[in-house]
Amino acid sequence: MTWISNTITVFGGLLLAHACYSAQEHAALQSFRAAATSTLTSSTPVASSLPVDIAIETIAATLVIVLGLVLGTRPLRPIQWRVWAGKIEREGEEGFLGNNGEVEKDYMGNPFTYLESRPSFVDIHRQRKEFAEWIKNGGGGTGKK
Amino acid sequence: MLSERDFQISPIVQESMMHNTKALQNLQSLSASLFGISAGILGLESYSGFLFYIFFSLLTSFLIYLFRVAAAPNSSPKGYKDNKGTGNGLGSGVGGVKKYFRSGFEFWAGGIMNGFAGFVLTWTLFYGLVRA
Repeated sequence: MTWISNTITVFGGLLLAHACYSAQEHAALQSFRAAATSTLTSSTPVASSLPVDIAIETIAATLVIVLGLVLGTRPLRPIQWRVWAGKIEREGEEGFLGNNGEVEKDYMGNPFTYLESRPSFVDIHRQRKEFAEWIKNGGGGTGKK
Repeated sequence: MLSERDFQISPIVQESMMHNTKALQNLQSLSASLFGISAGILGLESYSGFLFYIFFSLLTSFLIYLFRVAAAPNSSPKGYKDNKGTGNGLGSGVGGVKKYFRSGFEFWAGGIMNGFAGFVLTWTLFYGLVRA
């Protein structure tokens, strides 16, 4: 998804640079003509307003860049605790993907995981069975789960 | 206005709030400089420049609203209604900005304050560059 917003932004940047260059050239030409005519005749003020196509290009470029930037922002997160925690419960990491499809770095995980590891809820018998099997299989680092 | 008791009933996640505010501020300062560039190229002066800035800031807020607030996937299960009859678990039907920001004013008008200095800076810079 990032490449879409990046492409749009770069395209808008090119348009804006072109518009800027055109406006600069136009201003230079205007001042040149004003200097040339003022030496020939008595000063005839030249209308130095920007040509309408440059103005349109500038505004279009601005809109395109803003669109690209907005598409590039990271997804927002709910601030209410119950909405946020509910989203984590339902979607897990899926709900906190960044623009590039990976889980965002500051995703902290489920705030209720500690409930799962409370001592009263630990299944000691199962853990002992798993440990015995692990020993039986050689106990190496690559034991089967 | 929310009181302390309201926060006890429905607490706020600080990390999410900082995340949202940072995302919004990044975008706003960047786009404000961009608006300064276009205003300088267009050669706007005094009031028209400020009106240009206000208009485009509001437009940016509207675009965020469109793409990031209104179009966000609704994570609630199908047919889920909370006690106020809305589907987003908030109980307030005001467009969903309250789901991501404390106040709607911060969302809609915060950008005008945040990026103003950057706007004036690039505005004067490009006005001088183009018309020198």
